[in-house]
Amino acid sequence: MTSDPPHEPLDAIIIGSGAAGSSMAAHLAEGGKRVLILEAGPARTAADLVSSTLFARRVKWTGPPVLEEGRNPVGFMFNAAFGTGGAALHHYAVWPRMHPEDFEMRSRYDRGLDWPLKYPELAPYYDQVQREAGIAGDAEQEVWRPPGAAYPMPGVPLFPQGAAIARGFRKLGKAVAPLPLAVTTTNYQGRAQCLWDGWCDCGCPIGALANPLTIHLPRALAAGARLLNDTAAVKLRTNADGTRAVAVEVAKKNGSRETLRANLIVLAAFSVENPRLLLASANDRHPQGLGNSAGYVGRYLMSHTAGLVYGLFDQDTRPYMGAFGGQLVNQDSYPKTTHRGSGAFGSYQWMIAQAVKPNDLLGISTTRPDLFGAPLQEFMRRATRGFAGMTAIVEDLPAPDNRVTLAAQRDAHGVPLARVFHETHPESIALWHAALTEGKAVMAAAGAREVWTGPPGGMHIMGGTVMGSSAANSVTNQYGQIHDIPNLVVAGPGLFPTSAGVNPTFTVHALAARTAARLLANWRQIVG
Amino acid sequence: MSRSRREFVAASAAGGLCLLTFSLAGCDTKLTPAQARAANLPPRTLDTQSLTTLESLAEILVPGAAAAGIAQYLDHQLSGAPADSMLMIKYLNVGMPFVQFYRGGVQAAELAARRQFTRPVAELSPQQSSHLLRQMSAGELEGWQGPPQGLFYFVLRNDAVDVLYGTQSGFELLGVPYMAHIVPPSKWG
Repeated sequence: MTSDPPHEPLDAIIIGSGAAGSSMAAHLAEGGKRVLILEAGPARTAADLVSSTLFARRVKWTGPPVLEEGRNPVGFMFNAAFGTGGAALHHYAVWPRMHPEDFEMRSRYDRGLDWPLKYPELAPYYDQVQREAGIAGDAEQEVWRPPGAAYPMPGVPLFPQGAAIARGFRKLGKAVAPLPLAVTTTNYQGRAQCLWDGWCDCGCPIGALANPLTIHLPRALAAGARLLNDTAAVKLRTNADGTRAVAVEVAKKNGSRETLRANLIVLAAFSVENPRLLLASANDRHPQGLGNSAGYVGRYLMSHTAGLVYGLFDQDTRPYMGAFGGQLVNQDSYPKTTHRGSGAFGSYQWMIAQAVKPNDLLGISTTRPDLFGAPLQEFMRRATRGFAGMTAIVEDLPAPDNRVTLAAQRDAHGVPLARVFHETHPESIALWHAALTEGKAVMAAAGAREVWTGPPGGMHIMGGTVMGSSAANSVTNQYGQIHDIPNLVVAGPGLFPTSAGVNPTFTVHALAARTAARLLANWRQIVG
Repeated sequence: MSRSRREFVAASAAGGLCLLTFSLAGCDTKLTPAQARAANLPPRTLDTQSLTTLESLAEILVPGAAAAGIAQYLDHQLSGAPADSMLMIKYLNVGMPFVQFYRGGVQAAELAARRQFTRPVAELSPQQSSHLLRQMSAGELEGWQGPPQGLFYFVLRNDAVDVLYGTQSGFELLGVPYMAHIVPPSKWG
């Protein structure tokens, strides 16, 4: 707590310019609010998104180090990013909906947590966002899809890699459908059609993929929002009795500090930095950190386990063509008890036939790290012709001990670093094994000459500021408002009480749109 | 916001030059890592002996990596700001500065080579180097004191793959169409 800084407060300060922050900024600014977006990283434009797996590493995280511990790290350095657009700048735009059961894990299955809202309450916002951002898909073929409006663009085209793997699924009596992608398959709202050359991981510079530079930041800025780069939020301030957030203390790249006042503060700095800032903002009224009266800030951190399955085919699969997210989807293993017999619990979906490049962490060469010398040369020669791959997004059951805490070490601005502990739940590990077993059978049925798998890697980071029905079981309410500080709002995947078995970004956008609508409709009551 | 791929390629006047900035005769000069190697430029961050070790191991891991300039690439990347680094090690939860990781790996590999074969890495036969690397990848080199040996193997192998296959010329080598939206202005930075 400090005395209020002197200048006229803004309507809203949003910390973070990624998927959640840019969406909130667009909606609030278009609602007539004076919005300032704070971005700790540098400015980035489409011209920075060079088509190179090497250059792509420049947009990844180079902020304060995150200290990862536990048997199954969440892979923060690969999943996060630093600069305008945040992690969504390099995301692959796989945008499936979560399923109704994902919202009711505790009440239906006695696992994990319940969300404080159910699928029908979020469905209209899924529909709204898919109109705004544009999603390509085929709702009829996607037989697992929860209720919702049909996709506004036709499904992604099928390239030889996808066709090869699809044969395996069909031989085993399993369905496939076009992978729902927030990528243009037609000219859409002035955006050009995708060229399917597989550079999504570097960030899409042509506006085909719905990243923040393409969708929400232009809207936010056009509506009058301002974006400040190289400006890190280092502390949140509350009023004297701790009931309202009043200001953000920021540190500039040159080390100078400033205190910025706002009537609403939105934390949209991803699942690790949000709890870090809440914990680092402890004051007399909130000695354990803001929103942490029941000790939930940082807890229930989750990360999907990637189930990587590869095959080598005799025919030319042209594996470099398509989108990085894939061409097809299968959700036959979405029902939570599908693999109960093997000790597994939860959902997974297959992202099938992802475009790959020769190198990089997800590149062809890295799928066989055991090879070097002449065998590697021979493998590269064959695999760049006949490679095929698919990835299971394996649900991570939430556990309270998987959490973000503050480390003793501090960053350049004096803020304690985040320490992240994560160990995957045994039932989720069993589910990962079940996915690999199924995946190998699919590849074999498809006619792959060789089939192999990859190690479990962390993909997506969720939880850490989970929403719930009360301060006794969560950090925020269903709109992301901190329970005891209602004008301090969290946005992003950190709100998720469960991880589901699908990619999170579509749900991040739907929640942000819902929260923004709620705030605008009740501004005086909530914000004052 | 929407721009065609052709617009981006046309906008990239430096497209395909594949150059890095090296200091040659006191002047900043654009060279590829391979050209920097041929020019025998002095290293900036790692010492010559360490670069020789890294190059020797990388050439066994990915034949062609030495001529492609793996040593110059690593020295260049380790000399710049972390934000500008294009090394894969950025993804792998290794503390900065990354040069400590490479120095530690070099030192441990040299000790292992001398212990097993009584000679430095650069003087090992290809068979001896391969044996050493296989043990390293499996974490089986006894007395290793450095970064985790399996991780050091993984990182150096991928650096070598990046140098040889991760560029436009590397794609050409494999017959893979590059299809850039924005052509990289250089191989590495």
